[in-house]
Amino acid sequence: MDILVQLIVNGIMLGSMYAIISVGLTLIFGIVRVVNFAHGELLMVGMYATYLLGAKLGLHPYLAAFPVVVLLFVVGALIQRFMIQPLLKAEEHIQIFATVGLSTALVNLALLLFGADLYSLQVPSVRESLRLGGSTLLVGQAAMLLCAVALIGGLHVFMHTTPLGRAVRATAQNRNAALLMGVPVERIYIFAFGLGSACVGLASALIMPLIPVTPTIGSYFVLTAFVVVVLGGMRSLTGAFVGAMIIGIVDSLSGYYIAPDLKEVVYFAIFIAILVFKPTGLFGLGRGTE
Amino acid sequence: MESLTRRGALAGGVALAAAPLLGSAALAQSGPIKVGALFPFSGGLALLGDESYRGVEIAIEERNAAGGVKGRPIQVVRGDAVDPNQAVGEARRLTSVERVTCIFGTFSSSLCLAATQVTELAQIPYFELGAISDPITERGFRYIFRTNATASGFANMMVDSIRDAVAPAYKVDPKSLKVGIIHEDSLYGQTVAGYQKKRVQELGLNLVETLPYSARSVDLTPVVLRLKSAGVDVVLQTSYQNDTVLFFRQMREQGYRPRAAIGAGGGYSLRDTMEAVGAQHMEGALNVDFTQFRTNPAGAPGIEEFVRKYQAKYNMAPRSGHSLCNYMGAVVFLDAMQAASDLRAAAIREAVLAVDKPVGSTATGWGAKFNQAGQNERADPFLMQWQGGELVTVFPASAAMAPVKPVLGTA
Repeated sequence: MDILVQLIVNGIMLGSMYAIISVGLTLIFGIVRVVNFAHGELLMVGMYATYLLGAKLGLHPYLAAFPVVVLLFVVGALIQRFMIQPLLKAEEHIQIFATVGLSTALVNLALLLFGADLYSLQVPSVRESLRLGGSTLLVGQAAMLLCAVALIGGLHVFMHTTPLGRAVRATAQNRNAALLMGVPVERIYIFAFGLGSACVGLASALIMPLIPVTPTIGSYFVLTAFVVVVLGGMRSLTGAFVGAMIIGIVDSLSGYYIAPDLKEVVYFAIFIAILVFKPTGLFGLGRGTE
Repeated sequence: MESLTRRGALAGGVALAAAPLLGSAALAQSGPIKVGALFPFSGGLALLGDESYRGVEIAIEERNAAGGVKGRPIQVVRGDAVDPNQAVGEARRLTSVERVTCIFGTFSSSLCLAATQVTELAQIPYFELGAISDPITERGFRYIFRTNATASGFANMMVDSIRDAVAPAYKVDPKSLKVGIIHEDSLYGQTVAGYQKKRVQELGLNLVETLPYSARSVDLTPVVLRLKSAGVDVVLQTSYQNDTVLFFRQMREQGYRPRAAIGAGGGYSLRDTMEAVGAQHMEGALNVDFTQFRTNPAGAPGIEEFVRKYQAKYNMAPRSGHSLCNYMGAVVFLDAMQAASDLRAAAIREAVLAVDKPVGSTATGWGAKFNQAGQNERADPFLMQWQGGELVTVFPASAAMAPVKPVLGTA
């Protein structure tokens, strides 16, 4: 019983990590309608930035989050402006190729700059264990869960109460109508891509003290993030959160009760089942909206 | 005009055909001996590929300073093998364009397996100094020779350590210890774990869990909890760096303290792993690997000399034992080439098979005696232990710097 509770706690913690990574992907996909295959590499960039700020300037990763979020916003905006924008009118698969190319380029750039070695930040306070009933979790994991909830809540409020948020939603719903209403669609896209990347920046600062960074760290997360986003219904932030929790718990339970090397099989099977039986995801808006 | 062209083409053709003949004839008299060095110099394996190559480089410089092979200097042609495809391409270039006498390589087993298919056909001796996959020397090839131990050698040493080092240190019966095998699920982990299971059965030890996992995993808690609830005393882990760090961290977080954890080189050998985990938490972790630098020089003559040369040349301490092992292998094969009657493949093979160095006579502490398949039969890996932030050789006794400490981590 203790073990089951511990596994579920672990699953929730893992889920909050997947959630915070998937938020950015959901935003970019939902608004700009670009499947960003370089999402994991943006995470990697953010993690290296956090590492450098921590190792060279002695900045605590949670403080480093602020400059890293700004940096990633700029990187994301530049990607949209100079890579995706010129391709907006091209077919969708061209944009996908562009992001795949960007992902490969970033991985190799990281290999060139940092080598294949892993870098980790020693932040003992974040790795402190908290006892919760019979189970343990880390301070850093709890912080991640809180940040994921706060981020999703904050984005929801932003999208529904501010003029900019409304413009973003309008653009996501119908690009041409938004354009006719005087929304500067291209600038909204740049902002949205930047915002999505900034979310990954936050995620990377939170993850860095828990998991060491390598040039290929993104490839693991990005696949899971795609599953989460599809499970959540592509464009729904709450959906992504719930999807992430499901994947986290399934990951944790199947790793223990089935086999550690088969856990991916289990949640990819769930992924396929969702695609077959409910292609719009758990929180999708129905056919035709994806 | 037409005849001119034809004549020109003819002359050119003759010249082209004659060039290699002239070249090799001229080379046979004097001029440098070209040898290939095939390693992953870029890409994900580049760090240890380069570290491996440094050993070869030092061996060759040493040899050249001592007058080269058969009075001729050795010239290295580097080949960069990022993946098996490129390994094949570079092996082709080295054998047919550069026309090297032999090739040193490769660090990675998959690169070696691919490249040797080319060199075997071209009948160019291939000297493997670091890749551990057993099949490399089990394919019936005539011109592949390997100085280092194989995966089965690693696996056997890990399991034997339970009987020979762990149980005596804790003063318990080895059969009373519950053994758990965990490994990353690519070819490397699968191979080593396969041999481990066989050896555990041979010794009659008590194996209670075998858990494969993905090396890219970001959460190994399920593995840790499985081991914890099965009450495993000795964990045998075959892993890379990332998963080693993760395993040690999550072991501590879940309050799981086995009596011993034994690694199969890989992630356990690297200083970065120890630093990421923390010296006090890595304390007592055992590791089976090629010879590292904290080895008793009495059992490894030349090891100190090598470290001195390395530091003088690269202005840093060696990053891992890979350079040392590649150095040892390159020295053995260069000596064999010197002893060979000529530098044709058949003569080199004869000379390599005639090598006979007892254990404890080389810089790695290994001996050298090759079987017909080209495998060195005197290259058992050593057992090491992290003690006070240093990886110290603890077994066998001849090479040991310290006894085995019966601890894992600090409370």
